[in-house]
Amino acid sequence: MSELTYESASGRLEAIIERLDSGEAGLRETLELCREGRGLVEYCAAELDEVSKGLDALRLDELVARLEG
Amino acid sequence: MAVRTASSGIPGSALPGPYGVGEYAAALRERLRGFASVQLVGEACDVKVTRARVYFELRDERGAIPCAMWREDFEALGLPQGALAGGAQVVVAGGCDFYPGSAASSPHFSFAVSDLRIAGEGDLLARIERLRRRLVAEGLCEPQKRLPRPALPRTIGVVCGERAKARDDVLAGLERRGWAGRLVWAFAPVQDRHAAPAIGRALTDLASLQELDVIIVARGGGSLADLLAFCDETLCRTIALLRIPVIASVGHHTDRTLIDDVAAVSCSTPTHAAEAAVPLHVAAARERLGRDSARLTRHGRRAVADRARALARLSRAPGEHVARHRRELRQELRELRASARRRIGVEEGATQARGRALARRAAAAAGADRGARERRLDGLAAALSAHEPQRTLARGYALVEDAGGRPVTDSRAARAAGSVRIRFADGTTGARIEDA
Repeated sequence: MSELTYESASGRLEAIIERLDSGEAGLRETLELCREGRGLVEYCAAELDEVSKGLDALRLDELVARLEG
Repeated sequence: MAVRTASSGIPGSALPGPYGVGEYAAALRERLRGFASVQLVGEACDVKVTRARVYFELRDERGAIPCAMWREDFEALGLPQGALAGGAQVVVAGGCDFYPGSAASSPHFSFAVSDLRIAGEGDLLARIERLRRRLVAEGLCEPQKRLPRPALPRTIGVVCGERAKARDDVLAGLERRGWAGRLVWAFAPVQDRHAAPAIGRALTDLASLQELDVIIVARGGGSLADLLAFCDETLCRTIALLRIPVIASVGHHTDRTLIDDVAAVSCSTPTHAAEAAVPLHVAAARERLGRDSARLTRHGRRAVADRARALARLSRAPGEHVARHRRELRQELRELRASARRRIGVEEGATQARGRALARRAAAAAGADRGARERRLDGLAAALSAHEPQRTLARGYALVEDAGGRPVTDSRAARAAGSVRIRFADGTTGARIEDA
């Protein structure tokens, strides 16, 4: 299974909601899709949190010096 | 030239002097001006137009000469706008000149241009075009474009001049996206001959960072000569083979450098490059995620509630079915009774009508002497009643009967009976026959 990314997670979430909106999913499938969807929402929210914490600016030369030193 | 006696020369030197530098500079100018006027051909670079003069450099593979032309003379040529641009192949006519400077200003050598002709596309541009075709033919413009670009990078590398305006523009673009993750600045010169190798090193160092998702290379506009570093073949090949997508933003809308071709994405400004690096608007994505989350919850609840309602409906169904049938049966019974009543009424009416019709027909069949016949019948009935025994008894006669109630009509029968019963009008009494 390929590594989860924000775009793959949000794409899958979109597909889940589309399936649920269609009204064709039975009770068991609906509950399973809801459970999977909630996991994806948590993942996406964590990814958004990662890029909302405040700009963390570094200098490459300092990083290189630190790695070499 | 006169030797300055106030300052002594270098001891042991066989050279003449020392001469005053201004005097020497003036002599140099005279000597340079004495050079024969000629025509030169080369590529124009670093074209600058000031109020009084037009400055540029003429270059070829073996050297370069700074040139200056009076603005008035240049405009008298009537060249199209922008014809004298970096990279243009130019033929100039003129001669050497030298500004000797002063205590407050620097000296300056230039080729004083008296006439100028644009010779066609410059070699520089032609060379760039040849290199572009080679890179395309080798397929080096494709690998970067095939790399996946994350919609929401966590770490972005930026290559730009340390004090360049492009740096602020990148930050503005990232802020516009609402992105505030990790940024790694790789500052490098972006226009001299050291630029291309320095940019290449910065890119490979950035690409060696595991967590890096995308790299932006940004530089503002400039002449073709200024942007030449971004047409460097080695730099282009380095970018083409990087495993991390590079977003290039070099120059303005009209400039097209070779790294624009090999990079994953080419943008017109550093702000756009930052926006291309973060395709997602973070705040909008968060709102959308909130909506999706609410929809999921709604679907989950509705799925359970709908089915619970359906089950409740099914559990009530048999009772409702019986009640519905009972209601229907009662209705049918009411209708049946009403129908029967209506039918009886109709039949009664018909029977009465038939009775009336029969009476009418009977009356018609009896004829006109019906009254006389009735009267005669009454007379006969009266005569008949006059002969009834009861009437005779009322007049004082008596009827003798034997024990069996049979009439005794003669004396012999009376004697034979011994005892008889005598019936009067008001009753019956017994009697014994005695013969004297």
